[in-house]
Amino acid sequence: MAKIIAQDLEMRFDDKHLFSAQELIFPQKQVIHLQGDNGSGKTTLMKLLAGLIKPSHGQVQAVGYSLAPWWRSNAIVGKALYLHQHPYLFDGSVLYNLTYPLAFSSEDKAKLSARTEQAIEMAQLSHLLGQSASSLSGGERQRLAIARAWIVEPKLLMLDEPTSNMDKHSQRLVLQMVSDLKQQGTGMIISSHQSCMLTQICDHAWLIDNNKISTNDMVHAAAPTLAVHINPNMLNSMVK
Amino acid sequence: MNEGWLALTQQALSLLFSLDPEVWSIISVSFSVSLAALVITLLPSMVLGFILAFSRFRGRWLVTNLIQTLQSIPTVVIGLLVYLLLTRMGPLGDLKWLFTQQGMILGQMMICAPVIVAMSQAAFTSVDRRAWETSRTLGAPWYSAIWAVCRELKVPLLLTIIAAFSRILTEVGCSMMVGGNIAGVTRNIPTAIALETSKGDFAQAIALGLVLLVLALVLNFALGSLRGKAEPRSH
Repeated sequence: MAKIIAQDLEMRFDDKHLFSAQELIFPQKQVIHLQGDNGSGKTTLMKLLAGLIKPSHGQVQAVGYSLAPWWRSNAIVGKALYLHQHPYLFDGSVLYNLTYPLAFSSEDKAKLSARTEQAIEMAQLSHLLGQSASSLSGGERQRLAIARAWIVEPKLLMLDEPTSNMDKHSQRLVLQMVSDLKQQGTGMIISSHQSCMLTQICDHAWLIDNNKISTNDMVHAAAPTLAVHINPNMLNSMVK
Repeated sequence: MNEGWLALTQQALSLLFSLDPEVWSIISVSFSVSLAALVITLLPSMVLGFILAFSRFRGRWLVTNLIQTLQSIPTVVIGLLVYLLLTRMGPLGDLKWLFTQQGMILGQMMICAPVIVAMSQAAFTSVDRRAWETSRTLGAPWYSAIWAVCRELKVPLLLTIIAAFSRILTEVGCSMMVGGNIAGVTRNIPTAIALETSKGDFAQAIALGLVLLVLALVLNFALGSLRGKAEPRSH
């Protein structure tokens, strides 16, 4: 099973101590709600686990991944997919953005092509495919970014405040894709400083408080199994 | 426009459209020398611009300011420096490049390198960091992520290339000193315009000036249309 393990983790910016943790394990098949106040370091922690920044102290390792070529052997980056709070879309069409990661995937081309079509349908982007990505609304951008991640079926995925810019329709579509990924075994961290419908599918919680990261199982551990088998009517009721 | 001007313009156009060998040889020298200088300098200068934008090392501030200063050095001063390097007693005298196209290429490389480094550094500094992070986290190896960032910066990077090319294609001082303005060998558009104007042969000077004018128009319109398609990001 693929996982990211962080040990003796400490993060500082100049003299400011942001957080520290003895050991954090982010495995497949777990959905973790990352909680903490604004500025507590949720984004920084996710970027650390994604390999986009280095910790001030400690180490982050990826376990359970196939061996990378020698020129990428030490890289954590690319193992756990991180989605920004305001997703970055490349200059080009919606279709260009959706298919951008396909060139880097080792999956079968036919499978990726089928998943792309499925993702377009799930995110309801078919009428926007030829449009410039820069013209999309906040909710459409978020749907596109999550659909892009859904296509490559990551083993681990981190969503940074995913519902912050979305209307209820977009939230419903995103919940559907995220629930589907959970069912496929993708491990996820969903950061949010407050509960939302996406956090309902979480089965673990990490809390950054007083510069420490604590981990525990969530009370509503039964919710995810309901959510992943949820039908569209139930999804509707969740957002009402 | 009086009759003299009209006649000169007609003569100039006739020189261009009749494919006058002397005029087209000058144009050919100009473009081959400047393109060679640009092609050789482009990649290393952009890599240096990238490094200066993204890395933090001791002396970075000094290097950045030195390169910005080099941009504003007059081309005759660079010409003098290259002349002293290439003269028989100079450190590169054994190459025997003085009054050759190779010497002109070396001089133009020294003129355009600081322009490319400084402008590409400014472009890379302005890039949204999320472009790099998104590309990497989606599984792109570092070289593909660099390409993705460059693609996002295509307008400022093309502007950099055009600015550098314009600067070396139109410079007189260095080409005159290092090339020597030898007909058919090192005579390029700006040195020929200076020479023909001093001789009073305005038709050829106008013909060559028109080439530069058309080139400037084409490059700027191409860039304008590209810039027109680029839309500002909302966040």
